[in-house]
Amino acid sequence: MSKTEPEFNHLPIGENTGKICDMSYIKESFGEKNNLIIEIIDTFISQVSEELLTINDAVEKIDFKTIRSTAHKMKTSVSIMGISSIKPILVEMEITGESDSDIKKLSELNHKLNSLCSQAIAEITAEKQNFC
Amino acid sequence: MKAKKQIRIFIVDDNNVFAHVLKADIQTAFAEMKIDISTFGTGEKCLEALKTESPHMVILDYHLDGRNAEAANGIKILDQIKKEKPETYVIMLTGEDNIDIALKSFKHGASDYVVKTDTQFRKIIYSLFNLLRLMSAKNEALRYKRMVMAISLGVAMLIGGTIAIEIIYPDFFVV
Repeated sequence: MSKTEPEFNHLPIGENTGKICDMSYIKESFGEKNNLIIEIIDTFISQVSEELLTINDAVEKIDFKTIRSTAHKMKTSVSIMGISSIKPILVEMEITGESDSDIKKLSELNHKLNSLCSQAIAEITAEKQNFC
Repeated sequence: MKAKKQIRIFIVDDNNVFAHVLKADIQTAFAEMKIDISTFGTGEKCLEALKTESPHMVILDYHLDGRNAEAANGIKILDQIKKEKPETYVIMLTGEDNIDIALKSFKHGASDYVVKTDTQFRKIIYSLFNLLRLMSAKNEALRYKRMVMAISLGVAMLIGGTIAIEIIYPDFFVV
């Protein structure tokens, strides 16, 4: 198997393309299966949107457990879609959430998370058109 | 690796993106094999399906539905799977490289333990490949065992028959 799985820290925001998503793993793995790629994209957009709502609600309610578990779950999906710049934020949210304190820091991280996720969703939605 | 019979695999993970991509990756990696894959978002749904189906392998996430406090975690589901279907191989997945979770998984009957990292899919495919080889070797061993038993039975019947003939007709083998 020669294809490369997504790496977490290889494409900082704004470098070269200005894009934050690198869908090369999905494209290399399922390049000719357009319907499958569209399904994966749709699943990702739907899941991330739901997770953002959950995490926003948890920050508002100062629910550290939900912040931790949602951040933990999101790490896997963003890495699959090659959104390496979001991973460190999620790791920090998970670690900060462990201490059951510092909601201010979590709120700031969540703000960054929402902003990057919006950009990622916009990019992926645009990318989807190439497979339709 | 080729298998005549269909291999049934369950993926139990509350991350739909991960489950979707893993399913497609397995189907691509084992394209020449007949593989049927079902995905479940919760352990409870997997256990429900186990009542009517017997998968050869289950790929099970350790952290299941963290948002739901009532949801069973991976170890509880692993226990149930091994109780209901002890012959099923279970690969446990987890987000962190934690030796305690690994040991606990093996102690509760998992066949392998994979940490979700950059190379997660390759590691799972490799683990599946090893388990498929193990299954194939076990089937082969069972086939040889049956063959040896059949031969032993044949030899025993031959010897028994000879003895019986000697008892009933003592002069039968006398030239």
